[in-house]
Amino acid sequence: MSGRRTVYEIYWEILVYCKSPRSFTGIINRCDLNSKTGQEYLEFLVAKGYLSLVTEGEKTRYHATPAAAEYIGLFSSLYQKLFDATPEFKL
Amino acid sequence: MTPVLSQFRTEIRQFFLVSLLNLVFAAIAIAIGVQYMVTAILSQTIDPFIPGFPMIPGLRIFTGAIAMICFGLGIRWILSTVRIFEGIVTIKDDLEKASDTITDERLTCLIVRMLAHYRDNRKTIRTMILVCTLGGGCFFVLGIANSLKVLSISSGGFAFTLDNLLLIPAMLLTLGIALASLLSSYYFSKFAKVWDRRLHEIDASECALKKTLGLDEQ
Repeated sequence: MSGRRTVYEIYWEILVYCKSPRSFTGIINRCDLNSKTGQEYLEFLVAKGYLSLVTEGEKTRYHATPAAAEYIGLFSSLYQKLFDATPEFKL
Repeated sequence: MTPVLSQFRTEIRQFFLVSLLNLVFAAIAIAIGVQYMVTAILSQTIDPFIPGFPMIPGLRIFTGAIAMICFGLGIRWILSTVRIFEGIVTIKDDLEKASDTITDERLTCLIVRMLAHYRDNRKTIRTMILVCTLGGGCFFVLGIANSLKVLSISSGGFAFTLDNLLLIPAMLLTLGIALASLLSSYYFSKFAKVWDRRLHEIDASECALKKTLGLDEQ
């Protein structure tokens, strides 16, 4: 996904994508990030315990922890609530 | 189908229609702008002794200038609409592909994409509102100016004669475009109002996300 996103939207996207173990390159490609900012986001999520590092042979992959489910659920409910809280666009 | 999905789908479909109509009318606006410019130039160079040909030099220069503005606005209009249209088409296609039993995550992903698209094009939409309103006004003036056969202005007032044969088709077409551009401006501002409010709601709800991530302690 590209376009102007908030940091919380990027965190959510990374966590959803990492529901199954993903490589660093896979994550930055999928979330349309550069390697510097991608690294910063991943380090933050690992430090907060939302992502864990899984080593498969020589490869290191990122995997969302059960704690990430709380954030993903809250994010989804907040964004879907936007359609209850605001008047809709109608022709 | 969940109410959120139904509402989101309807909004995207309707905005797609507004964008599509905009593209069509912007193309017509460019064509008419060119046509009026050519007519204005030709009527400046044509033999004034040809009977029946409308010949008001000052008015033709004025019509040509307005037509040029309309042409420029039409180009600006089409370029802005294309940018908005492309994004809406991809979101709409993905939304149509997804069945009624779309997952929560997929639906949230499309909402996030729409928000990102809106953030990217917020300025363009604001310009569109202005361009469409200006375009509507210019086309209205153009329609009237081009159907004038005789115009005389004196200190006591002014008098004009309308050419009926030129008036009806030209007026209908230009009034149609004027109306379409004013309607576009109205719907774009309505759309912007709704999505601005949603962006505001997101800003307000970021506190909850911050708290969950433990960022409020820092």
